[in-house]
Amino acid sequence: MTEQAMRPQFMGARVKRVEDPRLLTGQARFLDDIDVPGMLEVAFVRSPYPAARIMGIDTKAAKAAPGVRAVIAFEDCPVVLWQKDAYEVGQPVLAHGEVRYVGEPVVAIVAENRYVAEDAAELVTVHYEPLEPVLDMYRSIAENPRRVHENASNVFFYKKYTTKGFDEAFPAAAHHLQETFRTTRQTAVTLEPRGTAAMPDPASGRMTVYASTQSPHRIRGDLAELLGWPENQIRVIVPEVGGGFGMKANTYPEDVVVVWAAHQLRKPVKWVSDRTESLLTDVHARDDIHEVEVAFEDDGRIIAIKDHLMADGGAYPAYPFSGAVGETSLASRVLPGPYQIPYIETEIHCTYSNKTPLGAYRGVWGPIASFVQEGIVDRVARAVGRDPAEVRRINMIRPDQFPFRNAAGMVYDPGSYGESMEEALGLIGYDTFRTRQTELRKEGIYRGIGISVFVEPTAMASSEAGSVGYESVFIRVEPTGKVTAAFGLGPTGQGHETTMAQLIADQVGVNVEDVVILHGDTDSAPFGGGTGGSRSGPIGGGAALVAGREMRQRLVKLAAHLLEAAEEDIELGNGQAWVAGVPDRAMTIQQLAEIAYTHVKRIPAGMPIGLELVARYQPERSVSFSNGTHVAEVDVDIRTGMVQVLNYVVVNDCGRLINPLIVEGQIYGGVAQGIGSAFLESLRYDEDGQLTTTSLMDYLLPEATDVPRMMTKHLVTPSAGEGGIKGMGEGSLIGAPAALVNAVSDALEPFGVMVNRLPVTAEDIRQWILA
Amino acid sequence: MSTKMPVNLTINGETFNVEVEPRWLLSDVIRHQVGLIGTHVGCEQGVCGACTVLIDGKPERSCLIFAVQAQGHQITTVEGLTQNKPDLTPLQQAFQNHHALQCGYCTPGMLLTATALLETEPHPNEHRIREALSGNVCRCTGYQFIVDAILEVAGDSKEASR
Ligand code: FES
Ligand code: FES
Repeated sequence: MTEQAMRPQFMGARVKRVEDPRLLTGQARFLDDIDVPGMLEVAFVRSPYPAARIMGIDTKAAKAAPGVRAVIAFEDCPVVLWQKDAYEVGQPVLAHGEVRYVGEPVVAIVAENRYVAEDAAELVTVHYEPLEPVLDMYRSIAENPRRVHENASNVFFYKKYTTKGFDEAFPAAAHHLQETFRTTRQTAVTLEPRGTAAMPDPASGRMTVYASTQSPHRIRGDLAELLGWPENQIRVIVPEVGGGFGMKANTYPEDVVVVWAAHQLRKPVKWVSDRTESLLTDVHARDDIHEVEVAFEDDGRIIAIKDHLMADGGAYPAYPFSGAVGETSLASRVLPGPYQIPYIETEIHCTYSNKTPLGAYRGVWGPIASFVQEGIVDRVARAVGRDPAEVRRINMIRPDQFPFRNAAGMVYDPGSYGESMEEALGLIGYDTFRTRQTELRKEGIYRGIGISVFVEPTAMASSEAGSVGYESVFIRVEPTGKVTAAFGLGPTGQGHETTMAQLIADQVGVNVEDVVILHGDTDSAPFGGGTGGSRSGPIGGGAALVAGREMRQRLVKLAAHLLEAAEEDIELGNGQAWVAGVPDRAMTIQQLAEIAYTHVKRIPAGMPIGLELVARYQPERSVSFSNGTHVAEVDVDIRTGMVQVLNYVVVNDCGRLINPLIVEGQIYGGVAQGIGSAFLESLRYDEDGQLTTTSLMDYLLPEATDVPRMMTKHLVTPSAGEGGIKGMGEGSLIGAPAALVNAVSDALEPFGVMVNRLPVTAEDIRQWILA
Repeated sequence: MSTKMPVNLTINGETFNVEVEPRWLLSDVIRHQVGLIGTHVGCEQGVCGACTVLIDGKPERSCLIFAVQAQGHQITTVEGLTQNKPDLTPLQQAFQNHHALQCGYCTPGMLLTATALLETEPHPNEHRIREALSGNVCRCTGYQFIVDAILEVAGDSKEASR
C-alpha cells in the first residue's frame, strides 16, 4: 500500500490546468463581474497632499447630488487599522484630522454607479493646511523635518545582530570595500486591480464579502475584529483573482469602508480600484538602502559583511504587517545567501514617511538581498581580479555542509547550490563567453554576463503575510466516487485547482479529472492561512497529501472488509480497489462510496459512516530553502544606455515538482517581473511628496518584446516535508534582478561601472559612461 | 447628469439595443450593459490591452472608445471566439496546452490580439508575435508560453522561428 502511494501518477506530470477553459472563454468571474440588482458603487475622495491637517470637510453638495446614497467620513466609520502589539500607530480607514500620503482615502461616496459616485466626489471640498512632508529616510531617522505621527518615533522598527567573533574577524581580513545599494519603490501591479464587494443577507443577517485577496480567512478575521462582529456572521468569498504577488495579502482601508457601508445601508456595495488609485494606494515595496562593508581575503573568500539596512515603511504600517519590516528583517538573516560567509553584522532602521505604506511584493526581502549579496560577490571578484564564477565557487556552501547554519543563524536544508551554478553556466556557454566578450568589445559591442545564485526560504511556519503555519483540507469522496476537497488557500493564478487535484488523485486512486478543488469560501473551506510566502505548494500541497492518504486508508479498510482480504493486499488506482495479484476481486470506488453512505450496515465496525474528513499539515521544519541560479546575458548600448537581454538561463531546485508546467510558468513570469525590477519599474516621488508615476505610461511594465526566450532546467533536492515539496513562487523574482544588473556591470567593466541601484535606467548608464 | 441615448451595438454577430450616456466607455457598456464580462479592464489608460476587442476585425482598446462611437461596427469579444460551440478554438486549446495563462485576466485580450494577427498573417515567427503582443501586458506568464501557444497555431516549430 505505501509502495503504491509512493508511485505517483499525476504528481510530477505536466497536467493541463482545469482552470483554463472558463478563463479562455470569458466565463470566469472576477471581482468587478460580481453584480446584483441594486448594487451601489463607491468612489473615494483622496488626499492630494503628502502631509496636511484637515481643517474641515464640506460634503453638502455631494450629499445632495442625485443618485448619491451616502457620504462617509471618519466620524461615521471610525475604524483604525491597527495591529496594536506590533505598532504604535494605525491607519484610520478614512483620514482622521490629518492626511499622511497622497492617495490616502478621506471621504467615501456611495452612489447608484461609479460614474455618479465620481461626479459627487468632485463636489466634496476638503480644507487642508499643508505640513512639511517627511520624504527622506536618513532625515526621518533623525526625526527631521518632523515626526510623521506626533506621538510615535519615526523609527518604528530597530534591530541589531552580530555574529560572535565578528569584531575580531572583520578588521583582520586582508581587504575591505564599501558600497551603498539602493532600491527604488516598485509595486506588484496585478493586472486586475484591487476590489471588494459586500452584500448583507437579509434572511440570515450575515454579511457576504467578495474580496480580491490571497487570504480569505485572514480578511474575515480582520473584518470581524475591526468591525466588532462575530466571525461567523461574515462569509468571505474570493472570486477569480487577477494576480496577487503579495500585494493582495493585506486588508486595506477600502475593504473596511465597503463592508461598513453595506452594513449601514443594508444594500450591496462594491468598489473596484482604477489604475491611478492602484498605483497610489496598493502597498508599495522595495524602498530600501543597504550601506555595506565587506571584509575579504586575497583569493576572494568573503570573511564578513556589515550592513546597515534602512526601509521606508510609508505613512502607516500596512495592515496587519509592514513591508518595511518584512523586507529588512528577513534580508538581514539571509544576506549571506548560498555562501559560507562566517560573520555578519546587521543594523536595521524602518522609518515612517509621508508616502504610501510599504507592504509585500513577490519575494519581499529576497530581490533586494540577492541584489546586495550578488553585488558584493561581483565587487569582491573585481577587486581581487578573479572571475566572478570562480569567486562564487570559493565561497559556495558545499553539499557536505548541510544542514548549514548561516552567519545570521538561519538553518538551510540541503540544496544544490554549486551544482545549479555549474549547470546554468554550462547551459549559457560560459566557457567560451569571455573570448566572445573580448572580440565583441573590439567591435564596440558591450556584452555582459551576470550570475545570481539564490536561496529562497519557503514554507515558513510564520510568513510575513501573518498567516498560520499550517494548511487544512476538507476532503470528501462523494457517493458517486468523485472527490471534492476544500482548501483555505487563496490562489491568484497559481493553478491550485489542478496541482492539489493531482496530489489527491494519486493518493485516493482516482483520475485527476474526478477531483474538484474548492477554495476561497470561508463557509466551505477549513481554516487556513492563504497563499503567500511560497507556502501553498509545500504546506497546502502537504495537507493535500495527508488528507488524501487518510482518505486512502479509509477506502482500503473498507475494501479489505468487503473483499475479504488483508488491508496490506488492497491496491487502489483508476477509480478501483482490488486485491493485489487478483484483479478480478475488485470494487469501484463508486461502489465503496455507495456503501459508505447508504448501505452503512456493511461498513466494518468502528469505521465512521461516510467518507469525509479534515486533515491539517504543518511542516516540522520552520523553513525549507529552495535554490537555483540565474544567468543573464545582455548587451548595453553605450550611446543610448539601453539594455537588451539576449539570453537567460534558470536552473531551479524546488524539491519534488508537482507540475513542471506550472513551475516553469512561475519561473518565466518571475523573470519577466525581474526585468521590470531591474530596468523599468519605478514609483517616483517628487521633492514635494507627489507620486509622479500614476499611470502605466509612467510606471513601465515589461512587454513581450522586453523579455527574451528563457531556458530552464530543474534539479531536485527534496525537502524533508510531505512529498519532498519546496515552495517556489518567489525565487524567480528573487534571482532575476541581481543576474540582470550584474550583467550590466560586467558589460560595462571597461568603464569601471558597478551597478548599485534597482532599477538601473538608461539615464543612469549614460551618466556613468560619461563620468 | 448626462441624458441617455439609444445605440445599436453589433457584438459577436448579435445586435444589442442599449441606452447609454455619451460618456460611457465601450468597455463598460460591453461589460455592464450587455453583460459580456470576458472583456476585462486593467487600466482605462489605453496601455494594458486587457480590454482589447476586435472592431471590424482589428484589435482595439475598448477603454479608449465611447460606446456611441461603436455603432455600425462589427465588434468581437472573447465570448465570440467559440461562436456558441462548446469546444475551445485551436488557439484557445493551444493556450491551455502551453500553460499560456495563469490568473487569466489578460487572456481575453491576448486571444483577440493573436486572433487578429493570425488572420492577417497566418505564419508569424516569434519576433512578429512578440511585436504584435507588445500592447498587451501580462503580469503573470512572462509571455514565453503565450508565444509558444501562438507559434503552435502558426504551424511553426519553435526552432524554425528563432
Ligand atoms: S483597460 Fe484598456 S488598455 Fe488597459
Ligand atoms: S495571466 Fe495574469 S496577467 Fe496574464
